Amino acid sequence: MTTTRTPATNHFQPIDPQPDASPPMPNQTDKTLARIRTELLTTFSAADWESYNHLVGWLRDTDVASHALKVGDDAPDFLLPDADGRLQSFEQLRCNGPLVLSFFRGGWCPFCTAELCALQAAKDEFESVGASLAVVTPETRDFPRQLKRGLGLDLKVLSDVDYGVAMSYGVLFRVPDETRAHYSRLGFDFGARHGSPVWMLPIPATYVIDAGGRIRSAFVEPDFTIREEPAQILASLRQAASTCS
Amino acid sequence: MELHQVRYFLAVASTLNFTRAAEQCNVTQPALTKGVQKLEQELGGQLIYRERQLTQLTDLGKEVLPMLERTLASAEAVHRRAQEFQRKEVAPLKIGLAPSISASLVLDPIAEIAKFVPGLHVELREGAAEKLVDLLLEGEINAAMVGDVQDMPARIDDWSLFEERYVAVLAPTHQLANRPSIGIDDLRETVLLERAECDVAPKIQRSYFPDEPPHLGHCSGHDLHLQHMAAAGFGVILAPEHMPRLPALKTIPLEGDPVSREVRLLAVQGRRYSPALDAFVKVARLRDWSVEVPGRGMLHATLPELASAPA
Repeated sequence: MTTTRTPATNHFQPIDPQPDASPPMPNQTDKTLARIRTELLTTFSAADWESYNHLVGWLRDTDVASHALKVGDDAPDFLLPDADGRLQSFEQLRCNGPLVLSFFRGGWCPFCTAELCALQAAKDEFESVGASLAVVTPETRDFPRQLKRGLGLDLKVLSDVDYGVAMSYGVLFRVPDETRAHYSRLGFDFGARHGSPVWMLPIPATYVIDAGGRIRSAFVEPDFTIREEPAQILASLRQAASTCS
Repeated sequence: MELHQVRYFLAVASTLNFTRAAEQCNVTQPALTKGVQKLEQELGGQLIYRERQLTQLTDLGKEVLPMLERTLASAEAVHRRAQEFQRKEVAPLKIGLAPSISASLVLDPIAEIAKFVPGLHVELREGAAEKLVDLLLEGEINAAMVGDVQDMPARIDDWSLFEERYVAVLAPTHQLANRPSIGIDDLRETVLLERAECDVAPKIQRSYFPDEPPHLGHCSGHDLHLQHMAAAGFGVILAPEHMPRLPALKTIPLEGDPVSREVRLLAVQGRRYSPALDAFVKVARLRDWSVEVPGRGMLHATLPELASAPA
């Protein structure tokens, strides 16, 4: 019924003109996320830059990231539905080894879709060191399903219905009015996507959590254009494995 | 934002008194005030007016309160699930279904949450949407699934789950049974079995019978009653497409699909969700409901008692 809108800033996805013909962006996976970020930033309009600077400045001023859980903290338990409406529990996700848990903003954000594709490409390597991977979105309804289908993802995409998990990890914030106006103009209705009249988003964050539920690495960055490189996550996983067993 | 800040704010919102809120949260009043101020800073405005004796929520406070209650409830539900699990407690979940919502819709979600809520005990209740809203507000049921509702109270949270069309359901011996689709003129000339207290009836009336009322036949508030009467050749039923049908009945689309409705999930705002309710609401809001709609005939398998019903 509702389709994922392609915003003005989203010049990233159309790289593959036939999304059904082949896995999307096959030529992107050898690029680092930093490189893709640089390319995406060149597509920003003046309004995008203004909104970006405002949001990142506001997040830094209010020091929203200071609430985020840190290395050594116990990771909060959760039970969330995945994109197919099947419940996934935190205990089960980490029962066989460390868990990579990554909070992203949503399928409408090109930096998130780039990150998801990079995580998908790295998934086998994560698994080869005994780790599992789950990504968390505030989106509900069929949005996570559409995202998986659209990007050809074979990942556990969990829906943080009502934001309880993002809040308990300390990465949740209310979207400031100026940012809300900008995203509304681009056609993104977070109210419909999240099923909530108050617009909230997570700061993108990637955690490595060991089988005991302890946070072993935490990447929390208020600048939503900067994500943790899968190579870095893999290094954290290897380190966690070597100091855990 | 942090969980404890939200707890402080919700305590002030419910007591409208900083001293009592601080007691409730087991913190000093300055600590509580500081937490609320930090939350206000993050949410971009005052949440609470503090004027001498008067403590009241601001407009922003009122706006964010229901959502913060839900978020906190959602974050806390997982701990209560662990407690229930340890104490082997029964986890009751009472779900209200409007007459046009088949129980077949909630079977899969119930099976899903039962995997994680071992003491789950579900009670289903049927009632007209307005009645279910009353039961929700009275705390007699925890969630409801309904079609269209007139005048939803502000205290009810309401999520659209899916949209479905209405179809004609009739006996294979009915004179319209061999049509690929049924048009408006056909319906005007045929006997319709009346669904008592049907929430979609006004819509059907507007779409099909704006000038003169339909030829109404026998009536019942129960779908299965109507199906048996239709199977006996007493008339045609207009039914939501997801509704499981007696094997003896045939389904024919209405020309141009003029009548459709949204199926909605309701719960009461600000009430503490049990782990079972929390899981049910979450599964329902993510579930791919489209599997219920296109598989006409497929649903019989989920309702064995219907399969043995007389032809």
